[in-house]
Amino acid sequence: MRTSPLDAAHRALGAKMVPFGGWEMPLSYPGGTLAEHRACRTSAVAFDVSHLGTVRVAGPQAFETLNASLTNDLGRIAPGRAQYTHLLDEADASVLDDIIVWWVAEERFDVMPNASNTARVMGAVGGQDVTDTRAIVAVQGPEARRRLQAVSPEAAEVPRFAVRQIDWRGTPVLVAGTGYTGEQGVELAVPVDAAEALWSAVLDAGVVPAGLGARDTLRLEAALPLHGHELGPGITPLQAGLGWVVAWNKGPFQGRDALEDERERGPKRLLAGLAMQGRQPPREGCAVMMDDAPEGVVTSGNFSPMLERGIALAFLPPQVEVGTAVEVDVRNRRLPASVTKLPFLAKKGA
Amino acid sequence: MNVPDDLRYTTDHEWARLEDGRLRVGITDYAQDALGDIVFVQLPEAGATVEAASSVGEIESTKSVSDVYAPVAGDVIEVNGQLSEQPQQVNDDPYGEGWLCVIDPSDPAAFGTLLDAEAYRRLTSS
Repeated sequence: MRTSPLDAAHRALGAKMVPFGGWEMPLSYPGGTLAEHRACRTSAVAFDVSHLGTVRVAGPQAFETLNASLTNDLGRIAPGRAQYTHLLDEADASVLDDIIVWWVAEERFDVMPNASNTARVMGAVGGQDVTDTRAIVAVQGPEARRRLQAVSPEAAEVPRFAVRQIDWRGTPVLVAGTGYTGEQGVELAVPVDAAEALWSAVLDAGVVPAGLGARDTLRLEAALPLHGHELGPGITPLQAGLGWVVAWNKGPFQGRDALEDERERGPKRLLAGLAMQGRQPPREGCAVMMDDAPEGVVTSGNFSPMLERGIALAFLPPQVEVGTAVEVDVRNRRLPASVTKLPFLAKKGA
Repeated sequence: MNVPDDLRYTTDHEWARLEDGRLRVGITDYAQDALGDIVFVQLPEAGATVEAASSVGEIESTKSVSDVYAPVAGDVIEVNGQLSEQPQQVNDDPYGEGWLCVIDPSDPAAFGTLLDAEAYRRLTSS
């Protein structure tokens, strides 16, 4: 089991640690998942996301290599910007991983796969695994930038989807205006030696530490996909409602032919949101019933701390409209729900 | 972890308190801590007859679902209706406001067969 450079800091804070993607990471701190969730929606929280991979792809061929492998078009952005993109299976256009690319400098890209997909992504785009050289701290919430002013004004001012290298107490820190909560904020990649000092400085600025439990309920409310649930084997970007991640007007990319076939046929299912009438959370794998027949399946479900009811993402037949009444089979009980627009909470920007 | 001396316990991390021959039942401090923030509680109907160690309900946290088991056989005579809107009382006060139900045991001696506090402490510290 791999541990974060911040492992000792988490234990000192009394975090509950859990295995996740081959890493041992904080599930929650003593305040608990619900309090951490609400803190992210109303003030600011910090997550240790060091378990994300960082694959450095550099050199004169880096741009072309990445653009020929990944679905989005790096030609739409420029050095100093970040982009969300997918790596597809050549055979069936399944999403092998969803990735954020930080375009750090003209010929340097930091490609950030999900923890357990790092080797697979390196197999497609090459590069060097530099995960062990840094920690990543995500500071998220409506107060994130204001609190970060006390830590680093430069970091606080990095705009949404911008990437900048800053100097923090003599240490180079890479800051991106990205996140996974549906709130404003930045992610800071800090060399291992300075990681604890930065984490402490962020917490000293009044930012609440938050664990994977809150990260999951936050991303679900924001309807952000999690690989292995809304993305993965047999699931294409079109089915997941992420067609905007695919740049059709660029050249070939891995999986393009299979995805074009699906685009012509039309996807056989689409990701939708379900709002339960009550508090009980639907869970992954629960059947979605329409007219007494199983027509869909829940990919992620939980309790929404902000809506105070159960919510879920589910694959449904493509013609099902927002507002349709359905039932979710939760361990043999049929619970009423309705198809709802996504995200569950109104967008406020990343 | 808080393990009150005057209660009896099960290996499923539930407690029972003897009240005029009836058993008030809940989950232990250890159990609520392990579950994390509780967001939903499904309880049996008052009046239901339950078998010992049978599943009579569910407790869901943000991360998982756990069964509620009847510690003894008997009739459910009262359930904690407040938990439907305030399930987090189970986290906040597991031995008090967070109780789950009251069972009238079919065997009055059943309470004495449950684990005492000392035995439950050994169970959770091993």
